[in-house]
Amino acid sequence: MSVHTGEKPLLRVEGLKTRFFTEEGQVNAVDGIDLSINDSEVFGIVGESGSGKSVTALSVLGLIESPGRITDGHVWYRSPELVESIGADEPSAVDGEYVDLQALSPRVRRTLRGTHFSMIFQDPMSSFNPSLTVGEQIAEAVESQQRARANPRSVASRTQGYGLSSFIMSTVMPSKRYVKEESLDRAIELLEMVGIPDPVLRAEEYPHEFSGGMLQRAMIAQALAGEPNVLIADEPTTALDVTIQAQVLDLLLELQEETGMTILLITHNLGVVARMCDRLGVMYAGEIVERGTLHDVFNDPVHPYTQGLLGSIPDLDGTRDRLQPIAGNVPSLLDHEMPDRCFFADRCPKAMQECLEKPPEFGIAESSSHATKCYLARTSYDETDALTEDYFSSETAETQQIESDGGTQ
Amino acid sequence: MSQARFLIRRSLQGLLVVWGVITLVFLLRFITPGSPVDFVAPLDASPELRAQIAINLGLHQPIYVQYFDYLFGLVRGDMGFSYIRGRPASGIILSRLPATIELAVAATIVAIIFSIPLGVLSATRRHEPTDYAATTFSLVGISTPNFWLGIMLILIVSVGLGILPTSRRPIGLIPALEMLIFQLQISGIRTWIAHMILPAVTLGTYFTAMIVRLTRSGMLDELGQPYVKAARAKGLPETLVTYKHALRNTMIPIITVLGLQLGSLIGGAVITEFVFNWPGLGTLVIDAIVVRDWPIIQGALIVIGIGFVVINIAVDALYTKLNPRVSYE
Amino acid sequence: MISDRVKKSLKRELNHSLMAKIGIVLVLAIMLMAMFAPFFAMHNPTQQQLDRAHQPPLGVTQTSEEFRFVDGERQIQEVTIQGTAEHPFGTDSLGRDLFSRVLFGARTSLMVGLFGTLFAVGTGVSIGLVAGYYGGRVDDSLMRFADIMLAFPALVLAIALVGLLGPLTVRIPDPFVAAGLVEGMPATFVFPITLTIVVGVVNWVWFARIARGEALSIRQEEYVKAARSVGASDWTILRQHILPNSLTPIIVLATIQVAAIILLESSLSFLGFSGTTLSWGFDIAQGRDYLGTSWWISSIPGLAIMFAVIGINLLGDWLRDALDPGLSGEGGV
Ligand code: SF4
Repeated sequence: MSVHTGEKPLLRVEGLKTRFFTEEGQVNAVDGIDLSINDSEVFGIVGESGSGKSVTALSVLGLIESPGRITDGHVWYRSPELVESIGADEPSAVDGEYVDLQALSPRVRRTLRGTHFSMIFQDPMSSFNPSLTVGEQIAEAVESQQRARANPRSVASRTQGYGLSSFIMSTVMPSKRYVKEESLDRAIELLEMVGIPDPVLRAEEYPHEFSGGMLQRAMIAQALAGEPNVLIADEPTTALDVTIQAQVLDLLLELQEETGMTILLITHNLGVVARMCDRLGVMYAGEIVERGTLHDVFNDPVHPYTQGLLGSIPDLDGTRDRLQPIAGNVPSLLDHEMPDRCFFADRCPKAMQECLEKPPEFGIAESSSHATKCYLARTSYDETDALTEDYFSSETAETQQIESDGGTQ
Repeated sequence: MSQARFLIRRSLQGLLVVWGVITLVFLLRFITPGSPVDFVAPLDASPELRAQIAINLGLHQPIYVQYFDYLFGLVRGDMGFSYIRGRPASGIILSRLPATIELAVAATIVAIIFSIPLGVLSATRRHEPTDYAATTFSLVGISTPNFWLGIMLILIVSVGLGILPTSRRPIGLIPALEMLIFQLQISGIRTWIAHMILPAVTLGTYFTAMIVRLTRSGMLDELGQPYVKAARAKGLPETLVTYKHALRNTMIPIITVLGLQLGSLIGGAVITEFVFNWPGLGTLVIDAIVVRDWPIIQGALIVIGIGFVVINIAVDALYTKLNPRVSYE
Repeated sequence: MISDRVKKSLKRELNHSLMAKIGIVLVLAIMLMAMFAPFFAMHNPTQQQLDRAHQPPLGVTQTSEEFRFVDGERQIQEVTIQGTAEHPFGTDSLGRDLFSRVLFGARTSLMVGLFGTLFAVGTGVSIGLVAGYYGGRVDDSLMRFADIMLAFPALVLAIALVGLLGPLTVRIPDPFVAAGLVEGMPATFVFPITLTIVVGVVNWVWFARIARGEALSIRQEEYVKAARSVGASDWTILRQHILPNSLTPIIVLATIQVAAIILLESSLSFLGFSGTTLSWGFDIAQGRDYLGTSWWISSIPGLAIMFAVIGINLLGDWLRDALDPGLSGEGGV
């Protein structure tokens, strides 16, 4: 783990907004988040389910699908190498050493997946194609990345020998396969690297013949196929047995140290964060509400939500690993239901009048290493400012009253 | 259980079904009103002559004797003699088989060539004009009676535009190929193709439409699966994600449905043959039903039943080959 | 019997599906057509008027050559006939009004479709429920029998059965004519009984399979075991617990089967096996001989079949999407 420089982060997410346009209305899954992630660090994003953390991860990779869309914001990625290779084609996306992934054409962005960015998912069993061998699927990743490196600009070269006709041919003639022998060998090496015994044999097996832990290792191997700079791990251990979780996390740390890649870890598990991360961001209702070093956030949480998560006594040993339940409901992310105030106010034990008037911003005066979207960051808490405890329940009661009155008129 | 053993067991089951088919077909004659003699004997036949005819046809025996005679005959490939033509039924049926198989295979090829790409495009370009065109086509396709489609094709293509013949085809595939190989004559195969196009399209349309529907909905399902997202995340090009991953998994359940739906292909073939005066099993059966030529009716129905059972076993074999998770039970 | 939840989801699906709306309109239109055919028809559909044979549909002008003998000499004359509103769909080779025939043909198709399906549902569901509920040997033998049935393509079996058993029909008096509300229309309607039973017989297996599957899975449920332990009879359990649960897939399948049976009916009528001459399929067969001159005789009844079947299929899609999202196969978000 390196000391972060703070000056030239590897990844700078600015004002990213991802929305889903569903039948029920617009869902603001990611609502303008800012992040900076440094070289070779492990950055954690923590939050309850439905807080938008997985969508954030997919947005960084550009994998949001209809009805979702990234409506605003930039994802700046520092890569002189990339600037050189695509700068001429996409000048608008380049700024110094940085490339704005959001401004890239989808074709170019696709070529970054696997090679620059890679992702591992929560449930390894459903994230592998059930009807192809594990070895083949990893080899596919190797193959496509080799083709991408050999010819980064041409998409055609990467799909060469693959289309409907080749699909039909490949079922009849083994020589027509997309994957070459060398890629399969590399896949076996990768399997060995992530600690799978008998990799030669296991490469021939199908996902359903693997245990959950082994399959998650295989997914990590697959993600490493293109030697990515950034590995996004979305709840990598949630679907695994408790006994295996630690092994997989250790493996990730080991690999991180070996390769020096950056890991963006998405989790709801504070124990995992405490074990893995250098810095973290706490996510609530599509926003990052607090961010800082592990030490700062765990020892000195400012946002009442973070405080709630950590319980009264923050604890770095990971003994308190589950999210503490916080009274109240996970907020609706539907645009027309989102209030114009601090989204947390209805669950916040310290909510004040000020919190209802305008949503809080990240304080400017704060040190860049620890920032909070909460009014408490600059004013210290004074109990006399607090709203009455039943403020929100009476509010809803009132609105109901009004509605029923309106109905009888 | 190994795949080989699974297939053996499946074949034994198939044999049982075939036996049931034979029995049912045999019994069909006994639930049919009227005696076969009515159709064979001259209208003014004397009772003695009728009795003699019944004996000639073997109808004087008790049912079970007739049944076992028939069963043992079948084992030897003997289906009796056609009442009308006096020739062995098996020979007549066999001579008609190639035309039907050619038609069914041609229609299947037409269907597969058009339907899978269309279904995939429809799913990957959802809510785009391609998708609407494909869904409309498939809706109309599954809703059009194929005999009518055949007639309309004749009306438009043959009568209207004056291309493609509608007469009974003069040459089968095998003679046409023989001509090509031994005499280097291409005209035989040209004639064969010209006669094949309309019937194959007629029979293939319903199938095409159905596979488009199945492929589309299956692809939409598969494209929503996490492994597709994972495949994209590892940088696979979209064509690979679509065809190698999603389409492959879509085809697995489709194959089972297709196996069941092959029945409608065979049924459709009967009607299509009738429309195009095609010298296959279908016209043979219909003609035989009209004149109650029992040996032909029974033999043809049994051949169709066996064909269907065999196709289904083949489909099962394909299914187990494509799907590694199958447990051979 | 229809819960509010079901109603709601039907409505929601209907609201955002144009196709469902089209389906309902088509089906309703054809049902009305069939029911009130004597009122809409302008001619008796079976009445032959040889001097009016081969009249083209409204808006179509047909030129044909006719041989005449003038003074013992054979002459060829060009004859031009124009379609009139008198016969909007034209007439057939015997001068019968095609529009009226299409209207009355809807009766045959819908009646056979509905009753054939009911027959298939009745037999199939009872056999399937019994097989699935009792299991064991009963199940084995019934399902073997079903396998044998499935080894015959439905259409082939239907052709053989109808062709061999012969077309049995009943004449049902037309209530409107009997009540004296309309005149000049056929007093009876020919309902093909053999055909209806046969199309039901060749289709029962699908319903049996569904019902059996549901019965098998529900038999193991706790509440069914509980019902049995408190002494509920088999019949009660089947009726109160198992049948309602299998209803959704059965309804969806039955709807689609009506379409399939209409296609089947038209095929059999086309072959001339149905026993009724007032059917779309029969008219298509009639027109085959006149493709070169009177294209409309075959074309128009076929369009009628197509629209009817499209309508019912759309209705089936709507029910399936609304009642059983698991079957719809639409990709998730
Ligand atoms: S801004 Fe106010 S309501 Fe929001 S978290 Fe801070 S104190 Fe609570």
